[in-house]
Amino acid sequence: MSEILTTPLTSSRRSARPEARQARAGAILVSPAVILLIVILILPVAVAFVLSFSDYTLGRDRLTWVGFENYADIFTRSSYRKMIVATVLYVVITVPVSVGLGLGAALLIRSLKIGQSLYKTVYFLPVMASLLAMAIVWEFALHPTLGIVNRTLALGCGSPLELWPWYARSCADGFPLWLGDRDYALWTLAFIGIWQSFGFNMVLYLAGLTAVPRDLYGAAEMDGVRSGWERFRLITWPMLGPTTVFVLTITTIRSFQVFDTIEALTHGGPAKSTYVMIYAIYEKGIAQNLVGLGAAITMLFLGFVMLISVAQRRFVERKVHYQ
Amino acid sequence: MATVQLHEIEKSFAGTDVLKGVSLDIADGEFLSLVGPSGCGKSTLLRILAGLETQSSGTVSIGGRLVDGLRAADRDLAMVFQSYALYPHLTVAENIAVPLTMRRLSGAQRLPGIGSFLPGSRALRREIATTVREAAEMLDIAHLLDRKPGQLSGGQRQRVAVGRALVREPAAFLLDEPLSNLDAKMRVHMRAEIAQLNRRLGATFVYVTHDQAEAMTMSDRIAVMMEGELLQVGTPDALYDHPADIRVAQFIGSPAINILPVETDEAGVIRLYGAQTGFRAGSARIEHLGVRPEALMPCDDGELLSGRVRLIENLGSDLFVQLDVPGMLRPVTLRLPPSARGRVRPGDLMHLRVDSDRIVGFDAGGKAAPLLRAEVPAHV
Ligand SMILES: Nc1ncnc2c1ncn2[C@@H]1O[C@H](COP(=O)(O)OP(=O)(O)O)[C@@H](O)[C@H]1O
Ligand SMILES: [Mg+2]
Repeated sequence: MSEILTTPLTSSRRSARPEARQARAGAILVSPAVILLIVILILPVAVAFVLSFSDYTLGRDRLTWVGFENYADIFTRSSYRKMIVATVLYVVITVPVSVGLGLGAALLIRSLKIGQSLYKTVYFLPVMASLLAMAIVWEFALHPTLGIVNRTLALGCGSPLELWPWYARSCADGFPLWLGDRDYALWTLAFIGIWQSFGFNMVLYLAGLTAVPRDLYGAAEMDGVRSGWERFRLITWPMLGPTTVFVLTITTIRSFQVFDTIEALTHGGPAKSTYVMIYAIYEKGIAQNLVGLGAAITMLFLGFVMLISVAQRRFVERKVHYQ
Repeated sequence: MATVQLHEIEKSFAGTDVLKGVSLDIADGEFLSLVGPSGCGKSTLLRILAGLETQSSGTVSIGGRLVDGLRAADRDLAMVFQSYALYPHLTVAENIAVPLTMRRLSGAQRLPGIGSFLPGSRALRREIATTVREAAEMLDIAHLLDRKPGQLSGGQRQRVAVGRALVREPAAFLLDEPLSNLDAKMRVHMRAEIAQLNRRLGATFVYVTHDQAEAMTMSDRIAVMMEGELLQVGTPDALYDHPADIRVAQFIGSPAINILPVETDEAGVIRLYGAQTGFRAGSARIEHLGVRPEALMPCDDGELLSGRVRLIENLGSDLFVQLDVPGMLRPVTLRLPPSARGRVRPGDLMHLRVDSDRIVGFDAGGKAAPLLRAEVPAHV
């Protein structure tokens, strides 16, 4: 025992100060992690950044530097403008609805006396299922003539539902080609995206709700808070602030990344109305082997995601952690 | 300002009886402490009184009016929670103002932004701000009004919680272990402040604590609760000197009362390990004697009991001596004045006698039973 204690004292003549020795040991210990971090995470992004200024394609052994040409393409060609519009629109539709539904479902489930776990399981099913597999189900359901959606809608023809002009028109001219009509395709995909993701948000909100101290509700009741709405405004919503920021960030980033439903159902069409960024990266960078262009779109994509993360840190987090 | 009556309150959670018929009358302006070990049902009783929990049976009246059908918001009570339960996103001023804004402003007037432009809302808000400031000044937290609870120390948070309770001038205050999260020094300080508050406001206080010292120092009366039942309700003096139950005797007082296991023979003579104690049983057989440490006095021969000094605790103002008495598992504690310092040593043999007014007998059920001084040996 005494030997163990004295060994470091006698063998450390080179650096007498324990802080220096600790710092060196620390540096050695973290170096594998730092190297892995650089090789696995930072290097690929750096390579993509460099390639985005070239016309590199896989298999060719030389490449030409094209400067900002790839970026100029993105911001001037109409198909890429459509890409940005489709991506942003998809995000703007999906995020608020999916977050709102997640919160609503969590609050309703929490208020249940029995059957909580049943509802949790059911709402969480789409999250666990592979979206690609579920896309096939949706493809059948949304088939213009054979799909259950349009066939069910057709049953309502002749009923008072026809007072709704859209319904009457659809009865006369046929119900929409949900995935084949450029006015409907993106909304339909957004619907599927919401269907798939709100269960995840619900689970996050349920976790957030369990962290709200029960005494706060007691205190509010004593302070004269009578309605559920007031209780929500005074306690639940502010206390869920950190959860909401997290849910918003996660959902936004996931919506930016939507790919599988596009690939399975629309391939970016019709008329590029569902041509979202990740699909564009895949199509240009991998399917058409235009790596330089794909890399440029990737950079733009990373820019968006970065913006969201920074916004989260800067503007919101400071307001919802009450320190 | 109001009286509070609890009548035969029972409560069970999923088949477990937590409260077993608790009845309690609290006078207007009284400071009543509800004391008992953790888990005995104190908080449950207080929450039932507040209206945050519903009793299984029994009734609650406040100011002579039955309030069983009323929800907490309509009972005109204020509560201070053990966790303080401050709203973390609101400033101290906003926290204290909540009970007033909820009651004085209409739903529309409370809306953020537009609410302040509605008629009458400005004046009401100014009035509320004044009241909040007065309450804060009374509690010495006026300089903290703009801070968030997260930026305050435990003692300051505690004051904010009290401020939020008293700003509305409720009929009665309910306090659930409000000092248990404070450090020892702060606790002693706040103890005095809360007791003073009761006198200054003249309001009824129901104070829940597991700390008998808090109950003893602050209360007009104490209700001792164990396992969902009230064992005794009385003034601190009554509980200390005349405990009705052996559990009350053991719970109240620090260091704890000495419990001596004794036998009562046919003639009613009480014997401690065969030796006469100088006491006779009145009506019931006595199984235990209770003696406070300060009721024991050294004497020349073993009048009540004798033992060797095991340990001496010197508190400066008092000297607590623990004696090993042959046959007894736990040592007997006696209090000596500071003048005895240095005159007692571990290992010394000491003989003790007792102040005969200060000894209590308990029967087999643990209830207090009368005790007589055996002037003449009982067998004569
Ligand atoms: N909501 C509840 N559900 C089930 N059991 C409870 C509930 N609240 C309290 N209890 C039980 O009731 C008993 C008394 O609790 P409580 O009143 O909090 O005790 P105290 O405040 O005296 O420490 C405890 O055994 C506790 O487990
Ligand atoms: Mg409690």
